[in-house]
Amino acid sequence: MSEAKLAIHQTDASEIVRTAHEFLAFSLAGESYALPLPSIREILKAPPITEIPRAEYDILGIISVRGRITTVIDLRRRLHLEEGPLTKDTRILLVDRGDEVIGVLVDLVHQVYRLHPDEIELSSVMGSDVSDHFVGIGRPGGEGSETLLILLDPIALLRRN
Amino acid sequence: MARDDDSGLRDEFLAEAQEIVEALSRDLLVLDQAEKEGTTSAEQINDLFRSVHTLKGIAGMFGHPTIGAIAHSLEDLLDQLRLEKVALTAEVLDVLFEGVEHFQRLLQSEEESEAGIDLDAFAQRIGQSLGVQDGGATEDPLRALGLEEAMLSVLTEYEEHRLRANVEQGVTIFRVGLRLPLLSIDESLESLKEKLRSLAEIITYLPSMDGGDAEHIELVVLIASTSDKEVLEAAIPFEGTSVEEVNRRDGGPMSLGPVEEPQTTDLTDLIAAAEAAPSSLTHAPPSAAQLSGANQADPLSVRSVSNTVRVEIDKLDHLMNVVGELAIIRSAIFRISERFRSESAMRELSIELHRINRGFERNLLELQNGILDVRMVPLGQVFDKLARIVRQAAREHGKEVRLVVSGKDTEVDKLIVEELSDPLMHIIRNAIDHGIEPPKQRDMAGKKPTGTLALSAYQRGKHVVIEVEDDGGGIDHEAILRVGIERGVITRDAAAELSREEIYNLIFTAGFSTKSSVSDLSGRGVGMDVVKTNIARLGGIIDVDSEPGIGTKFTITLPVTLAMISALLVRVAGREFAIPITSVREALVFEESEIRMVEAREMLTLRGSSLPLCRLREFFGIADAPPPERQFVVVAEIGSRRVGFLVDELDGQQDIVIKSFGPSLQKVKGFAGATDLGDQRVALVIDVPSLVEESGMQMDRARLWAGGGV
Repeated sequence: MSEAKLAIHQTDASEIVRTAHEFLAFSLAGESYALPLPSIREILKAPPITEIPRAEYDILGIISVRGRITTVIDLRRRLHLEEGPLTKDTRILLVDRGDEVIGVLVDLVHQVYRLHPDEIELSSVMGSDVSDHFVGIGRPGGEGSETLLILLDPIALLRRN
Repeated sequence: MARDDDSGLRDEFLAEAQEIVEALSRDLLVLDQAEKEGTTSAEQINDLFRSVHTLKGIAGMFGHPTIGAIAHSLEDLLDQLRLEKVALTAEVLDVLFEGVEHFQRLLQSEEESEAGIDLDAFAQRIGQSLGVQDGGATEDPLRALGLEEAMLSVLTEYEEHRLRANVEQGVTIFRVGLRLPLLSIDESLESLKEKLRSLAEIITYLPSMDGGDAEHIELVVLIASTSDKEVLEAAIPFEGTSVEEVNRRDGGPMSLGPVEEPQTTDLTDLIAAAEAAPSSLTHAPPSAAQLSGANQADPLSVRSVSNTVRVEIDKLDHLMNVVGELAIIRSAIFRISERFRSESAMRELSIELHRINRGFERNLLELQNGILDVRMVPLGQVFDKLARIVRQAAREHGKEVRLVVSGKDTEVDKLIVEELSDPLMHIIRNAIDHGIEPPKQRDMAGKKPTGTLALSAYQRGKHVVIEVEDDGGGIDHEAILRVGIERGVITRDAAAELSREEIYNLIFTAGFSTKSSVSDLSGRGVGMDVVKTNIARLGGIIDVDSEPGIGTKFTITLPVTLAMISALLVRVAGREFAIPITSVREALVFEESEIRMVEAREMLTLRGSSLPLCRLREFFGIADAPPPERQFVVVAEIGSRRVGFLVDELDGQQDIVIKSFGPSLQKVKGFAGATDLGDQRVALVIDVPSLVEESGMQMDRARLWAGGGV
């Protein structure tokens, strides 16, 4: 990643941390992830998903949310995690990526965490080899916290399609 | 979010500005025609002035300085025109047209800088047009006129000028009292204008201060006419009209209505008073303020005169969604009533519920039709834009073209109208560029030097037909065949078997056109394949017929609405798909044994002609379940091309609402969108034109997809 790009990335990440104090935590292949709460529009139980022939690999298909056609992506596939089955805990988060609300399939929704800036370790201090959508690590309760949250940037995560 | 507010304001401005600019453009074309025929009227220029003035007003309010500046300079020019200090010439018209074009470009580009407008050069041309001005009149004849202060004080500078000019020329001024129903006020005023056009000049309309009730408004109209009072009375078509001559002060007795104000005030004082207290208008009831707003050069003129509302199409889509949800609820209620019916104790309740549900269904249908109706707009919207293109293209090519438009009122879905401009523009430019001959050539061919381009529209059942016909040189079908063979669109052998219709349709084939055309307006046939694709995307078809030496005619057939279409529901590997019925020719039982291989493609023979087969299961890569014993072939047809889609089941016909995919799925080909079938079932709507195209070219590649995956 070039230095210029990195600089932009840093501003984005710190912007997310500064403006969004609340994160919604969910689990995916055994790890805990979190998205800024303001980007989450709704949490749904997974309805039948209509698959789209010839769409990209990580697009599961579409669902109708009160008449609005909504694209659903499989976050496991997008993050290159192992495949998992749908269970009764599976949920679809409706996440606003700016120009569109996207359904994001996750294994289980935990809870909302309110994070103080001290409890967030920005990805920018972890070296240059991190993905765009990786904002940092959240440690609710500060150092020595049991829970580690991988904080994601919804725009970077979902804007690829 | 603050940004949303801004963009909301901006949208509102853009929508309103667009409407004004379209009206301007229309009026300017009428003026252009009138100038050629020598029948320009003061009213025409005045209409333009008012439109430009309003545009300037809203550009100021919404912070669009460039549009404001252009409007301001156009206003100057129009003002001088209507004050008759500058003569209306072809050159001045060009400057006016240029100004309107600038508006359009500015409204279309996001950033002002992108519009690439040389404002200085434009200002210079305005300056040239303004040219020499002569001095004003010395004696003010208005002083002699018996009009009350209240009336004189609300006249605009221009109205005063017209009043003065008429009095100077010895034309009699009449005061017409009208009582009009509020609801149809616009039409009434239009018809009044129309009736008086040849008899009189309308100087101003003023709402009467004391008249009117909740449903009516009383107006005083000042007109200048050389006709007699009786003639005018007979011409005005409303009941309860009074026509009185406004006498000069030095003449006979005052024939004006009761006036309390002293009438000896000097005019200059009156104007000063009017300027100091423009609030005199605000005392009038709202309707009156709106009316005079159209005449008055003050911020009030920003108020809309019409009784219509502007609605974003998204909001209508939302309402349509709600209707869809209600339809789902209706079927749920229906199921419950059916369940009750089987229990004898509940039988009566079931019948009752059933009846209520029927009423619900009826109203729901009405609601749905109502929403569809709101989406409809007259084709005149796009025809007016085209009229401008005709004028421009004709000038560029030194041709004389008369545009004859009919069926402007034919209504089509708003989205279709939007998408139609480009294809129609292309056809029209082609017709002028290559169809209609230069005047001399036409003369030699024994035709009138002015070519005719007829643009007509009419409704036929659930379709709208648009025809573009020129009386130009026509297309020689021998020439089409020659070009087709040259460019490898068709083999020499195949060419020999084509019908006349098929030959003309060759111009819509991709590859028939080349980019080597000299003209920037593109050669005959250049881009016609794009035109065809665009029309097909709207669910329409285009045909062409031509007679060398006589002319060419394009016929476009479109569905009336895109919002709700009839579709055939089919099932492939357990998935539901909808195929728009407009492109389905028929459906038949599939017989594997009838397949023949032609050039490595599977073909069926259908009534003597070959039908390429497209196995949707393989094509979409959804071959995860084995096909059933009995399969069906859905014969789809786009223009002259047909494909048979192989499906597992036919699930019947249904009216569906197509919803487009979000930006995240824009790259996926083959689907026009999806539709909600209720019960959380969502079916994909097959984009027949694109599948026909693709299956024709990429049969082999489809096999690759069959493996599924990355």
